[in-house]
Amino acid sequence: MGSESYVLIIGYIFGFYMAWNIGANDVANSMASAVGAKAITIRQAIFIAGILNVVGAVFIGSHVTKTIRKGIVSTDILADPHLALIGALSALLAAALWVSFATWKSLPVSTTHSIVGAMIGFGIMAGGFSVINWGKLAAVVLSWVISPVFAMVISFLMFKTIVKFILSKEDPFAQALKLAPYFISIALFVVILSFLFKTPLGKKLAIGTPMALLVALVLALILGVVAVKILRKFIKKTNLTGEEEVFRKIQIGTSCYVALAQGANDVANAIGPLAVIYFLVKTGSVGAKVPVPVFLLFFGGIGIACGIGMAGHRVMDTIGRKITTLTNTRGFSVDFAAATTVMVASKMGLPVSTTHAAVGGVMGVGLARGIEAVNFRIIFEIILYWVLTVPAAAITSIVIFKILQLFI
Amino acid sequence: MRIPFISMFVTSPFEGVQEHAEKVKECAGVFQKAIECIIEERCEDFEHFRKDIDKLESEADAIKRRIRGHLPKGTLLAVDKFELFRYLREQDKVLDVVEEGLDWLSFRAAAGIPEVLEKDFMLLVDAVMDPIEELSKMVAEARKYFSNFSEEQRIVVKDMIRALRHYEHEADKLEDTVKEKIFNTIDDGVAVFHLIRLTEIVGSIADHAENAGDMMRAMIAK
Repeated sequence: MGSESYVLIIGYIFGFYMAWNIGANDVANSMASAVGAKAITIRQAIFIAGILNVVGAVFIGSHVTKTIRKGIVSTDILADPHLALIGALSALLAAALWVSFATWKSLPVSTTHSIVGAMIGFGIMAGGFSVINWGKLAAVVLSWVISPVFAMVISFLMFKTIVKFILSKEDPFAQALKLAPYFISIALFVVILSFLFKTPLGKKLAIGTPMALLVALVLALILGVVAVKILRKFIKKTNLTGEEEVFRKIQIGTSCYVALAQGANDVANAIGPLAVIYFLVKTGSVGAKVPVPVFLLFFGGIGIACGIGMAGHRVMDTIGRKITTLTNTRGFSVDFAAATTVMVASKMGLPVSTTHAAVGGVMGVGLARGIEAVNFRIIFEIILYWVLTVPAAAITSIVIFKILQLFI
Repeated sequence: MRIPFISMFVTSPFEGVQEHAEKVKECAGVFQKAIECIIEERCEDFEHFRKDIDKLESEADAIKRRIRGHLPKGTLLAVDKFELFRYLREQDKVLDVVEEGLDWLSFRAAAGIPEVLEKDFMLLVDAVMDPIEELSKMVAEARKYFSNFSEEQRIVVKDMIRALRHYEHEADKLEDTVKEKIFNTIDDGVAVFHLIRLTEIVGSIADHAENAGDMMRAMIAK
């Protein structure tokens, strides 16, 4: 075996490590409200998240990836294959190390922002500060503020709506069943739209925005009616909280969607740089975009699933025990707000993470007085780590780059 | 394990309020037994009951302190933080007054309660037991309301508050009767002072329970 094969093997290890970390860190954030509201058990959450992440990665995940995530660094830095190889390796390891640290310290960081930060570090080393697209970086900074605030507003309104039209009515269960088609349709509308806009598979279908809106609307309405028919069959009024039961079923659907979308979008964080290494080793050069072989996507999906399977239990167990005041109507409001925020933001080209949106969603329900006690000040701690992510990953990436340069 | 997503969810102060209400309820039973004991001729357990109340009071105080001390700044509650504190203060006053009543009684324990007043006094004590017991039920029902926001549940809580007001009114009437009787049947000035003051203290238990109800009414206001 030549030295290049070793590099590729190292690349695989780093890529898998990154994917593992994505699974371990993100599963808590995407499944937290569902587990907290007891919509699904821990086992189910791990199963759903694991399977759907693989499915999302392989079937919906991008088969062509931009070599530089989110275009924050100019592709000029890839001109020198040797530098590019070291850069991709160090970016991958730096991002993975930062996410690992965050998982260990239980900080909700964005894996996307970590890889973006690591790429910036690599860019600075390879081409100096001029290669960085500061406008794009500003968009990242903007997303720290926009995504939680937007999610907060949405979940606030959603929960207030549920209280006004369902919970405060005389027979909330009947009211919930009556209005379920609307809630399911609204949720489906967001899901279908984000499927069309956000996932690579949807992008391949290349449907224009007005057309997509129309398709999503029609599909959502039809599926909404169908879903309610199924719902009515399965739900029996057991006690006073029948209305929560209705939202429990809806929440199972939204959690599945989150897991699927997560697999589809986040797999690129691990597999993007790995694909660069793969092509540099195989062909000796790399362009602005590379085709990603299916086996790499599968490899990434499995990595994420492993992370979920191994670390997920611990995380979800804590969530299930600690978050006891979240009910299904509240969980649905959080999920809905998070999904909508991620969809709208990515349509606007802002790199947001589900983590940030979910945190904003919980705040919104808290503002609507839906939770007995929410600590708002923790938001500052969370924001601190979001802000730290980019420079921390960048500096780590620079250090690793320097070290690798000595050996490769 | 510390997960910031979880750190957002602070332990609900309502749990503590509920616990505190249970303590208040517990002390009501002890109080009743202590009074019954005093009325029976040879009361030996009175000091024992007093110690029980003292212990319950300090436990309840600890709960109260825990609630107040463990709400970080920036905590958003289902109700206004200070409304909650004011509610808690009234609920705590119930306990304080029970303790005060037993203390006051102990200053002149040997004299006990004159036979002519026994029946009326027992009626008054019974009348203030109802509101105390209602408090813990009210907290439980109010928590249900904060979780499902159902109008039906709000009415349940409102009815309980109305009941508290009713109990207080009844207790007031009994208090007046007892006072009248004290002035008209007891000649010893010292005994009159002791008994009047005791009656006022016991009567004020219901007042504080009613005040707690009024605070609850403010918390569940839309």
